[in-house]
Amino acid sequence: MSRSQDLVGVAWAGLRARKVRTMMIMLGPVIGVAAMVSAVGLTESAKGALQAQLAQLGTNLIVAQAGSSFGSQNPTLPANAVERVENISTVTSAAATANLSGVIALPIQGASTYYQAFPVPVRAAGDDLPSVLGVSLTNGRWLNASDTSLHLHSVVLGEGIAKQYGYLPGETRTIQLNGKNFGVVGVLDSVPLDPTLDNAAFVTEWAAKHLLGTNGRPNQLYIRALTGTTTATAKAVPTAVNLGGTVQVSTQVPSDALKAQSQANKTLQEVALLAGLLALTVGGIGIANVMSISVIQRSAEIGIRRAVGHSRSTVGAQFLLESLFVGILGGLVGAVLGILVVYGVSALAGWVTVIAYAEVPVWMGLALLVSVVAGLYPSIKAARLEPLETLRLG
Amino acid sequence: MTAPLLEVTAPPLLELETVSRVYGEEVEVYALREVSLQILPGELMSIVGPSGSGKSTMLGLLGILDHPTSGTVRVAGQDVSGLDDATRSRVRGDAIGFVFQQFHLIPHLTALGNVETALLYRDIRPKDRRERAYAALDRLGLGQRAGHRPVQMSGGEQQRVALARAIVTEPLMVLADEPTGALDSANAAHVLEIFEGLQSPERAVVMVTHDLTVADTARRKVSMRDGRIVADERRGLPGPGGGR
Repeated sequence: MSRSQDLVGVAWAGLRARKVRTMMIMLGPVIGVAAMVSAVGLTESAKGALQAQLAQLGTNLIVAQAGSSFGSQNPTLPANAVERVENISTVTSAAATANLSGVIALPIQGASTYYQAFPVPVRAAGDDLPSVLGVSLTNGRWLNASDTSLHLHSVVLGEGIAKQYGYLPGETRTIQLNGKNFGVVGVLDSVPLDPTLDNAAFVTEWAAKHLLGTNGRPNQLYIRALTGTTTATAKAVPTAVNLGGTVQVSTQVPSDALKAQSQANKTLQEVALLAGLLALTVGGIGIANVMSISVIQRSAEIGIRRAVGHSRSTVGAQFLLESLFVGILGGLVGAVLGILVVYGVSALAGWVTVIAYAEVPVWMGLALLVSVVAGLYPSIKAARLEPLETLRLG
Repeated sequence: MTAPLLEVTAPPLLELETVSRVYGEEVEVYALREVSLQILPGELMSIVGPSGSGKSTMLGLLGILDHPTSGTVRVAGQDVSGLDDATRSRVRGDAIGFVFQQFHLIPHLTALGNVETALLYRDIRPKDRRERAYAALDRLGLGQRAGHRPVQMSGGEQQRVALARAIVTEPLMVLADEPTGALDSANAAHVLEIFEGLQSPERAVVMVTHDLTVADTARRKVSMRDGRIVADERRGLPGPGGGR
């Protein structure tokens, strides 16, 4: 039929005739496009996961920490620190925890040596800590007013510690704090904004004072601010807590760290993109190389084509089209591969898959461009070949 | 077969007029020196000569694969020296069918595919192209082998595929370069027989060879030496044809 159709058929047959060679030179565009698609897809998916997490956790949580003042091993905040910060008009809620230093928690009797060497941090916490943190319990309940009023020996485990203790959901479990038995009433879900809470055990302030013999003064405050006032509120917190006293207070907004993490991913994405570009370029050189050798190997074919009436430009176009097909196919396979990688990793990591479908054709186009440019020299070489020299021996 | 005498008056299919071909720039080497030759329809002609006599150059010029340094090459009366590559390629494809010593079949194509190669880029429907190619193969007794690749065929069969490729375009002239050089005597005899069959009142068959026994099978024998035509004999007819 039309000449271009003939050309497509001839180029396709040429590629199919050397399947291994064709697959080898396709590797460049395949790896390049797969790298770029998966680089962008993975970082975007990870970022999507982070952003989803941020949206869920909120960006308005402030953590205030008692600063270490001289001579104090365990700097504390005033006992009424929560009330003090709640006086700030932009604070919507606040909760405090106290580090109970010197309290040894044992999951079972006789495990003391290990747990003295690696003590599990025990914290005293108020009723509203989970609600301020915006996390729920995976299991059981949080400490409540009855624990205090009925003087119950109740403890809630952080998610990490529950795993470490081998705590089974719903299990009736007794652990020892400073030799006293405490019943596990619940497990707090992991707190992405403050992972130190995952490895802590929580008791009521009453238990801290009366059962474990500590002063129960808070060390950290978890504060929620009105949306959009987080930074300003964080600045106001030290003054509000201090009220002219000598207490040093430092504040941080943990969601900032997550934001920074997504920025770090951006850098990773750029590195991966660069690697993809590099793969494409090296792949392009590979194509140019192999096609050049191929032109020499196929000089008889070129000669005979010229002899039967194919023009120089037709022969050149035939070889250029072979490169073009390598680029198209390589790009296509690479894109599919990259998308599969993103889906696979996202599924494993529990991310929401984000694929920049709008960008995929750009990478494929780039692979195509590289392949065509790589095929240019071999094609010109093929077109310029003198048929008589290749056809006649002697 | 028509007697050659009747065709002398027909216009030449292909004509070289005082053609020279010089290789090299600093040191000029004359491969052909002012050669004139007319190839007429219906001729079965051989061009014979030892190595270095200019046969190879002659093949390139007759096949419009090469440009003369001076002189004129005409195909069916048309001067082809001024044509661009695409047009020259078209004229070559239409007017000339090549057969080579090494067959030069494209290894990854079947016999049919190889013959079809000569019909590509001519706006022929694939179905028609296949039919024509098959007919050409069938004419040379290779209908059964249409789906085979060159490696699956004997030398004689491969050369017949090459012949089918040469004639599938119905060319004015079949130009063969040592067509029997790579064949044993039985196959060579068979191929030469076919050559005689290919020749028709409209078509010429030209064999370029160094083999005198092959050359002698042709009714017109042009002998070359040192880039010149030294003899142009017609069997049964004395004197030069279009040579000098």
